Amino acid sequence: MKRRDFFKTSIAASAAVLSSTSLAAGETHQPNETRKVSKYAFPEKRPLITYSDRPPLLETPLSVFTEEFTPNDQFFVRWHLPDIPTHIDPDTYTIHINGMVQRELKISLKDLKNDFEQVEVNAVVQCGGNSRSAFTPIPGGIQWGSGAMGCARWKGVRLKDILDKAGLIEGAKWIGFNGREKAAYYKTPNFVRELELDELDDHVIVAYEMNGEDLPYLNGYPLRLVLPGYYSDSWVKMLSNITVTDKYKSLFFMDKAYRVPDNECECETPEKLAKKTKPITIMNVKSVIGYPENGAKIYHNSEVVVRGVAWDGGYGIHKVMISLDDGKTWDEAQLKEDLGRYAYRSFRFGFKPKKYGKLHIMAKAVNSLGEEQPFSKDIGWNRGGYKYNGIQVVNVEVV
Amino acid sequence: MMKKIILLTALSISALFAQVKSSVEVPYIPFEIKMGKGFSTVQADCLMCHSFGYIINQGPQSRKFWRGKVDKMIEEFKAPIDKKDAKIIENYLFENYGNGKEQ
Repeated sequence: MKRRDFFKTSIAASAAVLSSTSLAAGETHQPNETRKVSKYAFPEKRPLITYSDRPPLLETPLSVFTEEFTPNDQFFVRWHLPDIPTHIDPDTYTIHINGMVQRELKISLKDLKNDFEQVEVNAVVQCGGNSRSAFTPIPGGIQWGSGAMGCARWKGVRLKDILDKAGLIEGAKWIGFNGREKAAYYKTPNFVRELELDELDDHVIVAYEMNGEDLPYLNGYPLRLVLPGYYSDSWVKMLSNITVTDKYKSLFFMDKAYRVPDNECECETPEKLAKKTKPITIMNVKSVIGYPENGAKIYHNSEVVVRGVAWDGGYGIHKVMISLDDGKTWDEAQLKEDLGRYAYRSFRFGFKPKKYGKLHIMAKAVNSLGEEQPFSKDIGWNRGGYKYNGIQVVNVEVV
Repeated sequence: MMKKIILLTALSISALFAQVKSSVEVPYIPFEIKMGKGFSTVQADCLMCHSFGYIINQGPQSRKFWRGKVDKMIEEFKAPIDKKDAKIIENYLFENYGNGKEQ
């Protein structure tokens, strides 16, 4: 083992969780947004909030979420297994299509870029456990703040076009996606995702580019699955295999992880866990405020512009409401350009603080179905700490 | 002049992506982990697959939670940890990263 001297050092990591909670058991609260970026930068990244180096788990600071697109070098990172290839040769990399297809295919990166129609989609990718630190009692899993997400312009090839080229055999129903990350032990299950063919539409692409550049290594270079509207657990990175089957294959990462209670509130209690669960799949409506930040001091009677982003699972954002009086009254924020129903919709809200002292700024997104974000306290608990979408509260001081 | 600019752009692009063509190195982060009884077992059995960051960023948890995590590593992820070590790891995790509750 190379990492021999890890215990000699006493440099504090950036993201240790402190054990303090004065909250009533079971009440959902604001996620922990107090963590600072690490002093260590990962390849192609600026220093980010760092939870683990193996597998790499990096969170984007909230202040980045004022614009529609998240810069590649600040884009969050989440892998599942420790062994990620550290060398990819783009000239020899191929993706295999097999299983219930008429023609097995091995497609090189070059062929993918030349033999298929090239398409782009703007889409948010968000970890199902984003904002997990909002839940009490603390569910297992990384205690993310709200930065386990980002929005990019993805470029690649429609999955449908690839499957058409291979030709599906009658009875084909499921598609498995496997990437190149590997476990330390041979027997550990691979991180394979399975999707039902019915779930896939033309927006699902196999992407090689993100915001006009090659995918960063840590975001799945050279290819990843892009599933607009879905949580990121199915956006397989370093995609190497697409296998078509007629039957669902039981897999750990499908059957045990990334699931919520299969009831209306998708909630349960630690004492009485739901018997039936379902995959997390489509994202719910949510927004975050990128500016101002918690703890900021803003000047009395100055021009303050609240900035943030809102998104959902693809229905589109209808409006974002801002409250400056703890949710008693709400005013509509200005929405910027619509970049597609899967993208961040950025919002602006200008105001002049008239009262000195503490001020709570809240943002609430409403989607085109009329679904809106609940207050944190109204969100029920689930054991995995998934799908938190509470109204964010930013505490500032008017001076 | 135009030619030069194009050349420079081309160079900068290849420089930007050169690091994925050769090997990349993910930095090692010295997560601050508590010393305590059973630490050497944790070091030997857990670090094979994940960093200490993965442990300390789960938040303070009950004994039942930590036991469940160790069981998951053995049953689901096939970590070769024997029963004796599993108990030592559970005790270490609960003593150092516990919330004081058994359940």
